[in-house]
Amino acid sequence: MIDGPHERDHELDTTAAELRRRALSLFGRSLHIRTVDTGSCAVCESEIRLLAAPHYDLHRLGFFFTPAPRHADLLLVTGPAVRAFDDALSEVVAATPDPKATIAVGACALGGIYEADAFVHGAVDRVVPVDVYVPGCPPSPLALLHGLLVAVGRLAERVSRLSLELDPSNP
Amino acid sequence: MLWFLRGLRRGIVTTRYPAGTRDRWTDALPSAPAFRAAALTAALADRLEAACPSGAIRRRPNLLSVDLGACTGCGRCIDVGGGAVVESGEFLLAARRREDLIKQVPIDADPERGR
Repeated sequence: MIDGPHERDHELDTTAAELRRRALSLFGRSLHIRTVDTGSCAVCESEIRLLAAPHYDLHRLGFFFTPAPRHADLLLVTGPAVRAFDDALSEVVAATPDPKATIAVGACALGGIYEADAFVHGAVDRVVPVDVYVPGCPPSPLALLHGLLVAVGRLAERVSRLSLELDPSNP
Repeated sequence: MLWFLRGLRRGIVTTRYPAGTRDRWTDALPSAPAFRAAALTAALADRLEAACPSGAIRRRPNLLSVDLGACTGCGRCIDVGGGAVVESGEFLLAARRREDLIKQVPIDADPERGR
């Protein structure tokens, strides 16, 4: 029986997803990060900078910051994606070699603060594909580390199984 | 070598995260709200929606929709909630899908309670 076009598409999609997952897991040992600020208030940047401080020391986990997108494997994107930054953002994304991962950092980047209007897109994933979302205003450096480890497949995400309803038998 | 001794004297300790147990100071971090569903009345749900500055808490029929991606951890819902809303202690909230961050809590259907 010949597969219908939709089944073939699905097969291609899963193969592509599998390839992508394996490529990203290669990053598990060493990964270079480029931060991209699309109009944040700089508090997310302050927390990102703390990752390199002695208490968090992200280098011990094989993560490094790089100033050049051409040397980066992963983009940490903050801010609500202001439209004035469109050209710069698309150039940064184009300059980052594939395979790459993108993490949207903070409530602004996740679309929680600004509605889309003439000045902002309102969320990073309206402009570039996002692999991992890290909520918080700002996210703690530990939350950022968790997001990085989720992005490279070293930790599983937990939030999809999280319930905000307290167990009535255990108040 | 001096930097090493200075570090010891100042007591800078690198966290063992992701290994080991959770650092105790993280209890002080802002975290996502959690809800006692039995105490969550319709009137309280309206007040919570009005109190949330970033629109993370939205009132739906019989449900409270909480978008953790929009939550800024300001704690106003905890102030308004009067014991029905507490800090969950969850702050490692990285998600692979945006929709995983939108949580739903049932609102107590009994209209007589909590009035």
